[in-house]
Amino acid sequence: MSGVVRLALFQARRDRVTLPVWILGITVLGFATSSAVATQFGDEAAQAAILTLAASNPAFLAALMSTFLVVRHTRTDEELGRAELLGSVPLPRAASVAAALLLGAAANLLLGGFVAAGFVAAGLPVPGAVWAGAAVGAVGVSFVGLAAVVAQVLPSGRSANGAAAALVGAAYLIRGIGDALGTPAADLLHVSSAWPSLLSPIGWGQRSRPFTSPDLFPLLVLSTAALVLGGAARLIRRRRDVGASLLPQGDGRERAGAGGTSFVGLAWRLQRSTLAGWCVGAAALGAVAGVLGPLVTETVSSVAPLKELISRLVPGGQAGLIDVFITALLGVAGVFAAAAGIQAVLRMRAEEAEGRSELLLAAPVSRARWLGANLFIAAASAALVCATAGAAAALGLGVSGTPTGAGGSLVPAALAHVPAALVFLAAAGLAFAAAPRLSIPLGWGMLAAGLVLGEFGELFGLPVWLQDLSPFRHSSAMPVEPFDPVGAWGLAVVAAALAGLAAYSIRRRDLTA
Amino acid sequence: MNAATQSVIETLGLVKDFGRTRALDGLDLSVAAGEIHGFLGPNGAGKSTTLRVLLGLIRPTSGTARVFGLDPWADPVATHRDIAYVPGDVSLWPNLSGGEAIDLLTGLRGGADGTLRRELIEEFELDPRKKARTYSKGNRQKVALIAAFARPARLYLLDEPSAGLDPLMDAVFRRQIDRVSRDGATVLLSSHILSEVEQLCDRITIIRSGTAVETGTLGELRHLKRTHFRVTGLAEPARLAALPGTHGISIDGTAAEFDADAADLGAVLAGIAEPGISGLTVAPPSLESLFLRHYSDRNGSGVK
Repeated sequence: MSGVVRLALFQARRDRVTLPVWILGITVLGFATSSAVATQFGDEAAQAAILTLAASNPAFLAALMSTFLVVRHTRTDEELGRAELLGSVPLPRAASVAAALLLGAAANLLLGGFVAAGFVAAGLPVPGAVWAGAAVGAVGVSFVGLAAVVAQVLPSGRSANGAAAALVGAAYLIRGIGDALGTPAADLLHVSSAWPSLLSPIGWGQRSRPFTSPDLFPLLVLSTAALVLGGAARLIRRRRDVGASLLPQGDGRERAGAGGTSFVGLAWRLQRSTLAGWCVGAAALGAVAGVLGPLVTETVSSVAPLKELISRLVPGGQAGLIDVFITALLGVAGVFAAAAGIQAVLRMRAEEAEGRSELLLAAPVSRARWLGANLFIAAASAALVCATAGAAAALGLGVSGTPTGAGGSLVPAALAHVPAALVFLAAAGLAFAAAPRLSIPLGWGMLAAGLVLGEFGELFGLPVWLQDLSPFRHSSAMPVEPFDPVGAWGLAVVAAALAGLAAYSIRRRDLTA
Repeated sequence: MNAATQSVIETLGLVKDFGRTRALDGLDLSVAAGEIHGFLGPNGAGKSTTLRVLLGLIRPTSGTARVFGLDPWADPVATHRDIAYVPGDVSLWPNLSGGEAIDLLTGLRGGADGTLRRELIEEFELDPRKKARTYSKGNRQKVALIAAFARPARLYLLDEPSAGLDPLMDAVFRRQIDRVSRDGATVLLSSHILSEVEQLCDRITIIRSGTAVETGTLGELRHLKRTHFRVTGLAEPARLAALPGTHGISIDGTAAEFDADAADLGAVLAGIAEPGISGLTVAPPSLESLFLRHYSDRNGSGVK
């Protein structure tokens, strides 16, 4: 067995939990979306159009899975000194890069197969499902190559992950712009994407048109790009020192800035770059609402089954269709906000497990203040993510000149999702305070449970009381629904109670590595 | 006031269990105001656990701990007001520079003394603009030491502080200990290196498996100063027993190993100086040999 394969197997062993979670998660998401589409849209043509859009979400996640995988096994290993140990064994210098590329390709092959199987299970036509799976895998593979190059260029795992994830986000956004600028076909179901889509691997994946007229060429382009980029990454690695990077690690400041000597300042410092990522995501989401708005309005009003579905979802039928669309997108922004908040809270766990909180808490400041500072930054993050999505949607709608009754009030509409996000992040805080070792699975698990109960509960036919456990159910779905102060205040009170309980509990436990 | 004014640290029967592992097993430790106290023990003996209990970071299973007369678990904020702490394994924020980390840590304690901060950075030869992710273990240690010494404290808790420092930096560290000690501060310094503690400390507590096995001044712990001899080529090794101040003699053919009291070194050296000897190794006793002796003392008849 060659050394590279052995290394790839070793990397796969390290990823034995992470990768299955990604692959199964993406598959379940693809299955859920497509089964919803398959049951709600009888018309095959309508299905095809929506599915092409729906398939771009698994592709987006496949891209993220691939970039994190490659960076984890290349730059992060190098940064933490593990690569040095491996560099002493008789293997070529670029062996780790080659192994990560190999593992990435294998993971995407597997993912493609699973996604295809998920689509088939959801009742979609088999050939289309296979093509769609192949497209998802091909997009993932192209990002394996791209991330390998990024990891050679940037000095730290964190910066490489950030840059690569930003590229994934840009690819998703550019694809959306390409669609929006594209020309709808006569039946309004197909969009020939405009040139910007050619700049995005996700756009290329979509060009394979799995459910209408499959085309192999775009997938070949993606695979070739992956090969070329992977080769370039190996070439760079062969020619550079271990630990070196094309862009060197810049120096920091000699003294802390004004806010650099407080818990809030530190929490902000640690959160700000991640928050920027969430805000970009939220802005992209909002912009999609604005840019795709006109298209959606046109498509929906011309397709009878869709119109019927919308009127079924929104009793009264008086709300504009565009408002329904925007409401749904702002709901997703609310999920982003909760995730950003949870992530900020759970950073405390990393601080504790990696021994940094020991240094902090040896100072004459209480644990409750430390927790409070982090909860405050987490809450501010959630609010900022929501506000960004609302502002971007308002801006997008304004630019595209879509008539909507809600244009100006979209920021408050987005902010209506903040109280639910507060409940999630306060619950994550309580998990951290009471059961630190379990806080990470608990924190994210609660979000997943909230999503399943709140967003898909109806689809799965769960009892109402169970659905009502999800904080998402108590957010006002503005602008379609009016603001519901009782729900918002109720959520805020629950969040405050959870935070108070967390502050009480954290005083009563050992610092736990 | 009472005993609290004389003794800065006082623990009685401290027990700490982690699951089924007993990390501290009835530890008694007493550190008087103004002294430099060595806290000596092998890895895993419970030194870091003790320091964490003293900081109120973990709660003792039973027993009491008092720092400045306060219970650190019940009132960590008041206890920490006059403490500077350097953990054994310093972990910093990868994206903060060393200077920012120093300002953060001293800022939480009320702010650094500007002159002191500058001098320390210079003496420890730290580049404070580098991001912490680029620092070696020694440099991370320096950041924590500078943060600890850059603001005066009444008690310094230092967990194996010189691990990772080169001899030059170790000398800088010793000068800082001297400085804060002259200013009247109390220092508790944990280490697994006997010679380090020997040079710096007024009193020593030796900990093994979570229990203090010895405590006292170096003079009181006389057997710590015994020198270990290994001689080969002796005509009559059995004669060694007759020399003054020799202990623990073991003989293998013409080779012999034994310990000798510092006061009797002259007589011992004269006693082994015979024409036939072919090899001589002299070493200060290691902590390991000390513990080995503890085991054999316990298993043998004569416990003190």
